[in-house]
Amino acid sequence: MKGHRAAATQSSRARARGAVIGALVVVAALVPATATAAGTQEVDAELPYLCALPSGKLPAQVRIQAVFPARTGPGEPVEPTGVTTSVQLPAEAVADLAALGAATARPATRLTVGVAQDGATAEATWRGTAEPVRLPGSGPLTLTTTGDVASVTGNGEGDLTFSAGSLAVDLALVTADGATAGTGALTVDCSPAPAAEREPLVTVPAGGATPDPDGPPASPGSSASPSARPDGSEERQADRAPEVTPAVPGGSAADREAPPCRYDDAHPSTSASLNAYITGYTNVAKLKGASLLPLSCVLIEQGPTDIELFPDFTGGYLTQHSTGTLRHQGRAQTPPFEATFLTFGFTPTKATMVLEQTGPMTMDAHGETSFLTLYTELETRVRVPLVLRVTALEVNGVPLEVGPACRTKGPLRSPEPEPAKFPGDHLLLTGSSTHQPPDQPVGYLLSSGGQLTGEMTVPAFTGCGGGGENLDRLLTASVSGPGNYVKQTQGQTCAVQVFNPDECTEDLQPLKIPVPER
Amino acid sequence: MKKNSRRSVVVAGAAAAAFGLTMAPASAVPSTVWTVTPVGSYTATNSSNIVLTATIPMTCTTSGASGSMASATGNPATVATISAINFGTSASPCTSVLGNVTTVAVTPWTVVAQDYTAATGVTKGYVGNVKANVTAGACKFTVTGKASATYTNSTGVLAVSSVAGELAVSASPAPVNCGSVVTTATKPTFKGNYTIKASNGSIPKIVGTNP
Repeated sequence: MKGHRAAATQSSRARARGAVIGALVVVAALVPATATAAGTQEVDAELPYLCALPSGKLPAQVRIQAVFPARTGPGEPVEPTGVTTSVQLPAEAVADLAALGAATARPATRLTVGVAQDGATAEATWRGTAEPVRLPGSGPLTLTTTGDVASVTGNGEGDLTFSAGSLAVDLALVTADGATAGTGALTVDCSPAPAAEREPLVTVPAGGATPDPDGPPASPGSSASPSARPDGSEERQADRAPEVTPAVPGGSAADREAPPCRYDDAHPSTSASLNAYITGYTNVAKLKGASLLPLSCVLIEQGPTDIELFPDFTGGYLTQHSTGTLRHQGRAQTPPFEATFLTFGFTPTKATMVLEQTGPMTMDAHGETSFLTLYTELETRVRVPLVLRVTALEVNGVPLEVGPACRTKGPLRSPEPEPAKFPGDHLLLTGSSTHQPPDQPVGYLLSSGGQLTGEMTVPAFTGCGGGGENLDRLLTASVSGPGNYVKQTQGQTCAVQVFNPDECTEDLQPLKIPVPER
Repeated sequence: MKKNSRRSVVVAGAAAAAFGLTMAPASAVPSTVWTVTPVGSYTATNSSNIVLTATIPMTCTTSGASGSMASATGNPATVATISAINFGTSASPCTSVLGNVTTVAVTPWTVVAQDYTAATGVTKGYVGNVKANVTAGACKFTVTGKASATYTNSTGVLAVSSVAGELAVSASPAPVNCGSVVTTATKPTFKGNYTIKASNGSIPKIVGTNP
């Protein structure tokens, strides 16, 4: 048993290095325990859904496959594995996508899963991603995604039931010649057809597993806390100003203290490809301080800039729509970053976090130019759904188990002035520029960067904790909430197939490294 | 709309009439002999911000040129060549709301004289043989053509002020990744003042005569 626990400690350290490695370790650690204790049960459910497409609501078939443990005990984490979500959209839906000019669609799914135990409920989001799929010439389109999902630890002693709820399918649409189709992104919201409602996907019965007297076998768990204990977690919070560890990156290009930011075989460049670094601060209102977002790589497909002339031809309205993605070691996320807060009863607490992108990033610029005065203005709105994942916590230098699935319940969300056009929770950052020649333009310049600012709400945390301790409420009480000001600085982009030695390194990474500003 | 254009025609007519009256003595006989002093190499430095437009304006805070000047005959006559011209530098590139703009000139360009006013010492003409490759982010296009300019002997200022239609966006190579903001139908403009210095530090003089 001692050997087992040592292995568990090591595996939890390894998790901090990366979510991928972490997920593998969790599965590896979990499988023997559950297999010997109770075995597994496989779920393969086909459910009727209704999906909202541009032409209206259409029936769709959703297939959910996952492997669950056969039984669960109190405090024992349930981590579904092999989770695959397939959506079969009818031919009419394919016609809708084709009408937008799309030849391929890259899907990302967000399935809301209801978890219930002893009458208490919670929700988890199962996210899945896939490579782009070519639209069929005829017949239905099947989109199959896979992804890691949160583990769930029951606080009660009853059976745990999982039910499939609403499903959002984020589609990145691309034309045959590689340009973005339509606005480039379409979210298809699907809900269970009435007949499919309230039918659990699976029930994991309680009991059966003999709890290890020394504690959970590998403590890989986290919890989506199906109970709603109104206890006094808040009492452990202290409204103390935080101390930020500013791992400020260097401002010069020479030392290159920047993570790699380049296109590769997995993400090849086009003639419209740009890359850039972004960094800055995010205030955490509840802690009256700021957290530094480290230098992060963004890959951008620059859209064409279009002009619609004024009726009297004295100028025109300008628009540009681009798409992008965060990129860190092949994944759509920021590098891990640390922030130290004085919480948990005046104790310095160091959190290691990443921001994970869960859908397409879009950049929409709108403005106008006058041919008479040459006065030109442009406002750019960057939208990106980002989930904040906590990978490690250290309280007074002592590591605290957060589990592999500790993250915000949904993406960080900003007030959205065009919710109909840009549905779903996302971070919205805005940058504006004005130009009155012969003076220079001032403000955020699309390809050259500048300040992007916004405000966002941090949703509640879920899946945080391990070894029987649930940290969800603790993190939620200390960090989650509205009114967090965000200020990010984008550096000069490098147009990788143009190559400008003033803007790109020799190996086509962004030359300019921005410095975060408060 | 119709009213507006009629008014502008009237204004233009009035301006032309006034212009014709004052310019008549000088323009009556076009210059065919152009005397440049001193001849030889020169440098040009912008004395104000240069403004380029390709539907959207861009500002260059630094721009410079060099080449050589020579006396010439004929009308129009090439009185100088521009062997190098830069728009912006690494440290201070030309900028627009879309971001930094890189303009790489394909030289030589020319300075062509057409009309000389002895009373003012002003030569009218254009910067010719213009060709430049422009990039803004992933948007790339090529500009060709000419840009109207005047040169004033007393100040040594070459004032470039192109008229819409003089410069064009090349169809070969055609613009890429620019959208409708820059197409082959776009009429770019080039405006700004340059101070010219001869290699001996003096201000060059251009004088047109018709012997």
